Amino acid sequence: MMRTLDRLFELSTRSLAQRTSRRSLLASLGQLLTGAALLPLLPIDRSSRANAAEAPPGPESPENCQYWKYCAIDGYLCSCCGGSSTSCPPGTSSSPITWIGTCHNPGDKRDYIVSYNDCCGKTSCGNCECNRNEREKPMYRPSRNNDLNWCMANADANYHCTVSVILGVAEK
Amino acid sequence: MTGRAAAGGQRGAAAPALLAALASLAAAAPAHAGAEQNYILYCRGCHGADAEGVAGKIPPLAGALARFMRAPEGRNYVLRVPGAANSALTDAQLAGVLNWLAERYPAADAPQVAPFTVEEVTRIRHTPLADVLATRREVVRALAASGAAPAAQY
Repeated sequence: MMRTLDRLFELSTRSLAQRTSRRSLLASLGQLLTGAALLPLLPIDRSSRANAAEAPPGPESPENCQYWKYCAIDGYLCSCCGGSSTSCPPGTSSSPITWIGTCHNPGDKRDYIVSYNDCCGKTSCGNCECNRNEREKPMYRPSRNNDLNWCMANADANYHCTVSVILGVAEK
Repeated sequence: MTGRAAAGGQRGAAAPALLAALASLAAAAPAHAGAEQNYILYCRGCHGADAEGVAGKIPPLAGALARFMRAPEGRNYVLRVPGAANSALTDAQLAGVLNWLAERYPAADAPQVAPFTVEEVTRIRHTPLADVLATRREVVRALAASGAAPAAQY
């Protein structure tokens, strides 16, 4: 039985070797690899996915500078730096001195008092720069100048990003 | 920054008698209406949520303001210090904020301090201090000689 099987495999292998060459095997393998590599280059419409990835967040998003409570902010948004709009990213600490202003929320049409605390202890985040400072008049009122490093009262005065904490509703 | 002026103590014209009555009322005890909000908008950013300041950098108001207010030289200094004198607050609003602070954060060793009147604020506030730090040291030294005094290191 085993002898018959041996003979059968030997014949089929010899037959294959006589009909094909190593070069033709390499050629076939090469074609296969090249074909696989070229597959992603075929003109398939991927624009929908690309658009979804690049679309900027809307004005209702805390990652958008136009978000209502950022009306008097000057700095990088912590929500783009590993924190949130109200919490500092890991490795940084909130400044004890802050810039305080009021912003109008178009959602409920009320004015809110917002504290802009700088997060300190790491170098500048660099993401989502947001410099609105609405109604700031530094030349007329130097004490009302927000273009300051509010980390100056921290042990590590390196500025990283800014959070916006609502302190309450502003009464008329 | 969007400072929002809260209601002060000044109103439009009315019958002279009523006006005089209101004025005397205001002079006796300036309204605290909006004082807390004015503190938040114009003072809290540096002096803190509980007027505690920042050790070694920003002087506290809690306890300290009442100590300044117990003597004429301290009252004079407090009304002329740049943060108060140059603020966007009206004289009535400034009196309201300072009186609210002194009431909310009294000094244990100087509990009875007279509130500021609007007239007092108007009379003193608008004369700038030539040397803030030197004046502060002088005032704190004088206060220390006569009783409870604010911290000297600021």
